[in-house]
Amino acid sequence: MTPANGSILEARDLCLRFGAVEALRSVSLAVQAGSIHALIGPNGAGKSSLLNCLSGFYRPWSGAVLFQDEDISTARPPMRSTLGIGRTFQGIQTYPSMTARDNILTGFHSRMSGGVFAALFRTPALIRQEEAFTARAEEIIAFLELEQDRHRVVGDMSYGLRKRVDLGRALATDPKILIMDEPMAGMSPEEKGDLARFILDIRDHFGIPVVLVEHDMDVVMDISDRVTVLEFGEVIAEGPPERIADDERVITAYLGAAEVAV
Amino acid sequence: MRPTGVYFENFAAEARVLETRRARLWLVALCILLVALPMLAGPWLLGQLTYAFITLIAVYGLFVTVGMAGQINIAQSAFVGVGAFSAAKLSGLGVPFWLVIPAAALITGAVSVLFALPAARVRGFYLALTTLAAQVMFPIVILALPMSWLGGLVGMPVVSPDLFGLSLGGPRGFYWLALAFAAAATWCAFNLPRSRLGRAMRAVHDNDTAASVMGIPVTRIKIEAFFVGALFAGVAGALTAYFLQFVTVSSFTLFASVWYLGMLIVGGIHSPLGPILGVAFITLIQEGLHAISNALLQSGSNIGGGAVFALSSILLALCILIALIFEPRGLAHLWQTAKTTFRLWPFPRN
Repeated sequence: MTPANGSILEARDLCLRFGAVEALRSVSLAVQAGSIHALIGPNGAGKSSLLNCLSGFYRPWSGAVLFQDEDISTARPPMRSTLGIGRTFQGIQTYPSMTARDNILTGFHSRMSGGVFAALFRTPALIRQEEAFTARAEEIIAFLELEQDRHRVVGDMSYGLRKRVDLGRALATDPKILIMDEPMAGMSPEEKGDLARFILDIRDHFGIPVVLVEHDMDVVMDISDRVTVLEFGEVIAEGPPERIADDERVITAYLGAAEVAV
Repeated sequence: MRPTGVYFENFAAEARVLETRRARLWLVALCILLVALPMLAGPWLLGQLTYAFITLIAVYGLFVTVGMAGQINIAQSAFVGVGAFSAAKLSGLGVPFWLVIPAAALITGAVSVLFALPAARVRGFYLALTTLAAQVMFPIVILALPMSWLGGLVGMPVVSPDLFGLSLGGPRGFYWLALAFAAAATWCAFNLPRSRLGRAMRAVHDNDTAASVMGIPVTRIKIEAFFVGALFAGVAGALTAYFLQFVTVSSFTLFASVWYLGMLIVGGIHSPLGPILGVAFITLIQEGLHAISNALLQSGSNIGGGAVFALSSILLALCILIALIFEPRGLAHLWQTAKTTFRLWPFPRN
């Protein structure tokens, strides 16, 4: 299934406007299989807009989104989730009244079966299925080191743990690619370190490529294989992190024009 | 919190509601007591308990729609009414009792889907108003239909049920019947949160935007929440019809809907234990008020029935307010807290 050029998720010439504001101006992006791809840029550069086009929240004005070489521009978010585009959210979007394990189990929804009758009468088929998927949820719990918290109600957990549950739920949708919107925002350095390790493991262990928007430059430079820099809705640089760090235009975008800096 | 030394060797054991042997023995003892009760109690108490069992089934329906899926519903009494009239009509047509109950449940479920469709688009206060419309429309529709269909203003008589030639009309027989259905409803309500559908309902309740992105069909789950809630209401309605042996629209009022909601809130809306505790608590209060008012009436003071009715409404409001302010998670949570406190004693909880 993997296309010849190795890119699993691709944006081609995306344009998006909100009224007079051009959020994206002909933005193209190709996420390679097995890589961590970071999106950076100053506030208002269009990072979240691009992410929302990829996960189906926004419909671009023109251009196309390709997933495994198929055009999915018109697919709505639940459809993209089923296709294998997993995502985690900015801030806290877990289900606060459920336990950590139940949160993760909801991620299996489209892969499980059984309706009203099975749910009310707890049929043998349902029990077998519950056991199988609980075992899979436990694998994710073990991977994310949530064993101590599996039966805790998520609403009572710390911010870092909730983000980890959010990640677990995204992994339960069995994604072929994972989109993460500012996963590190608001975390302590320890929590950031843990999450960076999990993201690297998701790439190496599960072979799932990750697209992430992140503001913490240390994290971006450390973990990503490729960085795309956006400014005013345009891609101003793309390449491996070490090259981006020395790029003239990126430094200007972040620190202001040269004459100001001198 | 679990007592020390309770551990599980497989996921099936972990999913059990009753985790310890002792808890299972308590349940068996309770079942024996409830089954044997007609030998010990008089017809008045049996009648009260039968009515409480039927109410419990209706409140379980509300637990599914409101507690699990977070879709507010103040028309549960109207749905119970739909079940009652369906049962009355079907039994009048000669359909046997064992077929009438599931048929009434399904008819009520189908009617509820009609009112659940707006739930796909509106939430909160607007949904409350939509369900209120269902409650208001129920008597209007019944009265507007020809007399020969559903009895109109007069109502419809219902013949007492019999199962394979065995009459269940007497207070004892009907007590056992209602007990069996209440037990089944309890089992179903404890099953639902441990299933794919139950988790999807909770997800919709907690964060429907995230749920839709994670591949949960939110609209469908909302409609199913109303449908399942109405299945319970339909069973409760059919039993009411057989119990009263007569159905009229005046039995299924907005007041009853609010009482159902009150029972659910006082008991705890998020736990299947909540409806049991709520129905028991509110029924005890209602009966206590009746006893007091009867004593007052006999003592010759000039307090009338109207005052008693008003008093009971005030008391319900008070119970709900106290529950909302001091324990929004209801008696069910109070019960869990008390158990944890006793297990940890003399150490403080958390």
